Amino acid sequence: MTRRAAGLLSCTAAVALALMVVSLQVGGQQKAPAAPPAGSGPRPAAKAPAVTPYELAAMSYAQRFAVLCAPCHGANGRIETPLTPVLAGQPSLYVITQLFLFREGRRSNEAMTAVARTLTDDDLRGFSEFIGTLPPVTPPPPATPPDPIRMARGQALAEQHRCVFCHGAGLGGGQQVPCIGGQHEDYLQASLRGFHSGSRPGYTQAMTEAVSQIPPEDLDTLAYYVAQFRGPAAALTGK
Amino acid sequence: MKQVRSLVVLATLCCIGFPALSQPKPPPAEEPGWAKGRPKSDVAMHMAPVPAFPIPTAPDKLPTSKFKLPPGFKVETWASGVLDARGLREGAKGNVFVSSLFVANKVYVIPQQGNHQPKVIIDKMPMATGIEFHNGSLYVATNTKIMRYDNVEDKLDNLGEPKVLYDKLPGGNDHSWKYLRVHDNKLYYAIGAPCNICDPGQYGKIYRMNLDGSGIETIASGVRNTVGFDFDPKTGDLWFTDNGRDWFSEELPNDELNHVTKPGQEHFGYPFCHQGNIPDPEFGWGKSCDEYVKPAALLGPHSASLGLTFYRGKMFPAKYQGAMFIARHGPWNRTKKYSDISVAWPDGKGGARVETFMTGFVENNNYLGRPVDFLVLKDGSMLVSDDHAGAVYRISYGK
Repeated sequence: MTRRAAGLLSCTAAVALALMVVSLQVGGQQKAPAAPPAGSGPRPAAKAPAVTPYELAAMSYAQRFAVLCAPCHGANGRIETPLTPVLAGQPSLYVITQLFLFREGRRSNEAMTAVARTLTDDDLRGFSEFIGTLPPVTPPPPATPPDPIRMARGQALAEQHRCVFCHGAGLGGGQQVPCIGGQHEDYLQASLRGFHSGSRPGYTQAMTEAVSQIPPEDLDTLAYYVAQFRGPAAALTGK
Repeated sequence: MKQVRSLVVLATLCCIGFPALSQPKPPPAEEPGWAKGRPKSDVAMHMAPVPAFPIPTAPDKLPTSKFKLPPGFKVETWASGVLDARGLREGAKGNVFVSSLFVANKVYVIPQQGNHQPKVIIDKMPMATGIEFHNGSLYVATNTKIMRYDNVEDKLDNLGEPKVLYDKLPGGNDHSWKYLRVHDNKLYYAIGAPCNICDPGQYGKIYRMNLDGSGIETIASGVRNTVGFDFDPKTGDLWFTDNGRDWFSEELPNDELNHVTKPGQEHFGYPFCHQGNIPDPEFGWGKSCDEYVKPAALLGPHSASLGLTFYRGKMFPAKYQGAMFIARHGPWNRTKKYSDISVAWPDGKGGARVETFMTGFVENNNYLGRPVDFLVLKDGSMLVSDDHAGAVYRISYGK
């Protein structure tokens, strides 16, 4: 097993544990908030985060992010696990639209669907507002320098298909538009292909319309270019 | 249109000597319709349509207590938790129907009796925005088709399959959602321009059809995007709001309030002339604003004037009886935001006088709520939908 795959597995396990805590908490909220009934209800396995449901309910969304989101997405919102998008630098409106799509069952991903199903409207708001405060994180230097020919081709495609029209010159997004500059290539590739095939619904039709006529190999080149993109403005226009 | 464009490209190539031969570069993709004409300035480049927020505002956080109305009027929260609340129509058996636009993909029913909890009766239907109730049937129009659910109030637990009246609407995204009215047994709808500014062809018109979907006729041309129209109960004339073009400038052009006096024969200017006196910088060449019907009133720059309803009740003071209520949803492509409910009176000479009626939707240049559509209830009070906050308010007068 590769190290990356192992990372993905352990992160999924952490979500499962965190979710057990959350489901306890949701159950607890529905009952009268009396004193914690000692020993009642299913207990998570011994390695569950050392917080009780009641403590979790009292946590800020920063703390809940650390318990629920950070195991997969990284404490600062960027982690190099496969297919795990960078949250650092994402606008809060974009985040809440995606949490909403996961919760509604329109956008599907096993881990995220499981998480989003437990979230109330207040949670959607709280998590997205907190994530919106995460500053952009500079990506680690690439193992090998970007291929200049592929980068030039990607830049031409980005101009041709007007990515900057919505994502901005720094590809930093804003409002309902995500920050894509420096996002992981595998995630970008899967997203673009998903928009192209219709398997990835957006909050609006914008991306479906934008990529419907682009051949898949060009989408992959775009993903390569955008992931390697280090525009000077990327860090400045992250919000 | 395509032909014209290739001619232009060819002409351009001839002038500049086919540089494309030495350095092949594919033409840029079409920009999104809403972005046509957007200036390249940094401020403008950061403006784009913002869809409704994906969760309704909690009941205790609604802006209801911040609304300001003329003396004697009061407003209360009538329903909350109505995600993306857009169109409002009343059934015959005490039910209010609420449609949605980009976010919810739903049509709700809210019984007037009880605690006004919305119940989803249509789900997973994108752009289920145009609704109308007539003779026991609910008409629903998306961007692609117009449908009818018969005896709808007896089947609220399971509407069943609708009868499709028409499935040849052009679809698309820009200005393709619908607003419906039935008047004299004809169903009125519009097809908005598929862009900010372009030659709209057979788009950009108000149409009507028989209630079975046959006999389509043009009622008005040169209409960019109307999301609100109603018939004057005194004269039977059609009045409609029209959303003006974007990106001309922050202060121009205004949205229009228009009055149809010769159905089928009038052109209201788009894309050639805006607000009755501004020729379009691109499409206005060789045209004169005098060739088009002037607006009855101007409704503010980029105000996104949506729902329009004649007040047919008796509860409001005489001054408001027979007046038009207009929901100014508020601009997205303008630095300073504003939003209100306005009221307009036909002046009897083809024009109209407009007054502000209810404010309080904007705080610190942010929307707290955005009004969309109205429904005058049988007791004379008036419901207002708010897609931003996901709520329906009730305005009443007197005790």
